[in-house]
Amino acid sequence: MAILPMKRIQIFALSKNKKQILDLLQRFGAVQIEDIIQDDSVFIKQDTEEEIQEFERKREIIEKSLEILSAYVSEDNSILKTLQGKEVMSFDTYNKLAARHEEIYQTGLEIIELDKQIADYTAEIHRLQVHIDTLEPWSNMDIPLEFEGTRTTSAIIGTLPGALSSEDVLAKLAELVPEVDALHIEQISINNDQSCIMVLCPKHERAIVEGALRAMGFARPSLSTRGQTPANLKVLLKKEQKDKKQRIQEAKDRIILLSHKRKELQFLVDWLSLQIDKAKAAGLLLESNHTFIAEGYILESEAEALAGCLANKFLTVVDIRDPDPDEETPVLLKNNKFNEPMEGIIRSFSFPGKGEIDPSAFMSFFYYILFGLMLSDAAYGLIMAVGCGICLWKFPNMEKGLRKTLRMFFFCGLSTTFWGALFGSWFGDAVYVISTTFFNKAVSIKPLWFEPINDPMKMLVFSMAIGIAHLYTGLAANLVQCIQTKRYKDIFYDVVFWCLLVSGLVVIALSSETVTSIFNIQFTLPSSAGSIAGIVSVVSAIGIVLTAGRESRNWFKRILKGLYGLYNVTGYLSDILSYSRLLALGLATGVIASVINQMGAMKGGGILSAIVFILVFIIGHSINMGINLLGAYVHTNRLTFVEFFGKFYEGGGKEFMPFSLNTKYYKLEEE
Amino acid sequence: MDNLGMIFALSGGILAALAAGIGSAIAVGMTGEAAAGVVTDDPSLFGKVLILQLLPGTQGIYGFLIGFITLTQIGVLGGTSDITIYKGLLYFASCMPMAIVGWWSAIRQARVSISSIALVAKRPDQAGKAIIFPAMVETYAILALLVSILCVTGVTGLNI
Repeated sequence: MAILPMKRIQIFALSKNKKQILDLLQRFGAVQIEDIIQDDSVFIKQDTEEEIQEFERKREIIEKSLEILSAYVSEDNSILKTLQGKEVMSFDTYNKLAARHEEIYQTGLEIIELDKQIADYTAEIHRLQVHIDTLEPWSNMDIPLEFEGTRTTSAIIGTLPGALSSEDVLAKLAELVPEVDALHIEQISINNDQSCIMVLCPKHERAIVEGALRAMGFARPSLSTRGQTPANLKVLLKKEQKDKKQRIQEAKDRIILLSHKRKELQFLVDWLSLQIDKAKAAGLLLESNHTFIAEGYILESEAEALAGCLANKFLTVVDIRDPDPDEETPVLLKNNKFNEPMEGIIRSFSFPGKGEIDPSAFMSFFYYILFGLMLSDAAYGLIMAVGCGICLWKFPNMEKGLRKTLRMFFFCGLSTTFWGALFGSWFGDAVYVISTTFFNKAVSIKPLWFEPINDPMKMLVFSMAIGIAHLYTGLAANLVQCIQTKRYKDIFYDVVFWCLLVSGLVVIALSSETVTSIFNIQFTLPSSAGSIAGIVSVVSAIGIVLTAGRESRNWFKRILKGLYGLYNVTGYLSDILSYSRLLALGLATGVIASVINQMGAMKGGGILSAIVFILVFIIGHSINMGINLLGAYVHTNRLTFVEFFGKFYEGGGKEFMPFSLNTKYYKLEEE
Repeated sequence: MDNLGMIFALSGGILAALAAGIGSAIAVGMTGEAAAGVVTDDPSLFGKVLILQLLPGTQGIYGFLIGFITLTQIGVLGGTSDITIYKGLLYFASCMPMAIVGWWSAIRQARVSISSIALVAKRPDQAGKAIIFPAMVETYAILALLVSILCVTGVTGLNI
């Protein structure tokens, strides 16, 4: 209905009350605190950046801990939960929990620490496993790997590349160092890649033997067995692994135990968010030694109440005045239940800028109509309307934005049902197909008006007629806008001339027999109407040429700009033609629905084919409904944004974002 | 040679489904890759980027639609199938707007969709605007669909 009027508010108060006043403003939730330009040395802004960062860091930690919790104990995140909306918390509980914020924060830290421990232990288990695996080839050995030899002998322990038996090695060594004859070779393990061996030789010949072995590609093992035999070490490592696993389990159990604190952690996220907002607000205030000033916008309807509330509790001076006429105030829209859902669509385009009206009331009716024409199946519409209706009725605590969206689809569903019934489409031609296939009787639901597939021309003309009506509504909105901003001359130049020109051209077209026969229209207007319309069109065209370039002083430039403005008539033509998508998308829904029914019925009658039919029916129609819902939504938005808004609306306003209790998990309410 | 009309008509219908279908398949593939990339970063954007991925998929459906209407009109799915060569050629020509525009616009739309997906990744609150850009391209596919529907249903009534 309207853009709510805003006032400028200035609050002067004592610094000692700052915290309480900010609390009060936040709970009141009606003031958008603005950044004031600082222009003297007495009043200075406080830098709260550090405080904000500290709170944000904490919030990040708590959010991380919540994430960890939900990885171990899953949380109910279903659609149902979303529909139910935020849980309500009283200020009493809030204050009690707020007093314990440090303690709850420690819980969050503990969860993070436990998670880190689990990660560390898991890495450790992996490391141990690698160690165990590398020990594997040595597991037959009954002495430590570091064994150097006895008093007179030397032991050389290591690997040789390739599969070599002890005889092979012995033969090779005999070749390389024939002078060494006292050699013993112990085969420890052997596989295709390497052979693990221990060579015993007299102590004084160690260097020669080792040199020969190195020439064969010998390498010492890269691991140590800490003076243990490999088998013993393996047992030890396994035990260590088991111990770590035990600790992981303990940490997990602890996290699961802590999961009952989830609600408290969620509360803390909300609490920290509120502190961040408060610190941000505090950073916008101007402060002297003992006083501070807050300045911003407030809804006119709330201004008195807030001023009274402040005056009752604190020593303050509140100054409320009208904003300057050329000031861009933040925008908040308020509409009745029928128009309200449009606010979301407007937000996704842009809020009304300076001098623009709230377009909701003008767009809502046609939005629903266009959506219905594009989806145009009565059964789909009923499913939508009933589904959304039940959700709206059963879940009164749903988030406001979601509620608006559901209400929009509820109305869209009603409109879809209406058009579907007019065009005789109930799941396409399902009734006819079912009755002929399974009951051998031809029953069909007759359209209340006509079937577009049998007479596409009629539907095309109807679509364009709807388009013209939509564009005229846009022009009407422009008219209202001109009146509101008192630009009375523009009414003539931008609205009346165009209205006359387009209407004139339409009448000329309707009075020509060529056009009416192309479009299959039953009647042709008399040629006298055509001539009158011709005169009207020419006059309004001249009017447009003379006025469209009215910002230019230079007449030559002005006429050139005017001619360019008149060229815009092709824009109107393409705008109107653009509504032919109503026909195309409407047909697409109906024809695909019929195709699905036909595919389902291909097996003929009987129980088995009835089951096939039901399966094809459910899957096919769900997909068709989904795709066409998306199509209808996107193209209704397009027709609204491009064709309709193009006539009067640019947007560019900023949304009103009051300093309020902006929470994620809980909704705070007075008892 | 008597059935030449049928051959032309059927080829037209099949080409509409084929070309538009291939175009959409390529297009949805391209946008899907971009969408998956965004979801790696922020899984909560799944719903928004899924819509953007699906937008260039409609051309395939339109092509299928023209193909199906043609099949029913020329009597392949039951009924008489007596098509003269002239009529067959007319059916063929009727299907061409959807075949060619459908194929080409799907791929072009995919490129806009990918840019929009990048937009949503950076500014999720602007999803409403991001959807409009690809929808602009689709207009031409819709116009082609319209011409094809009008032609195919119109040709049936001609007496040649």
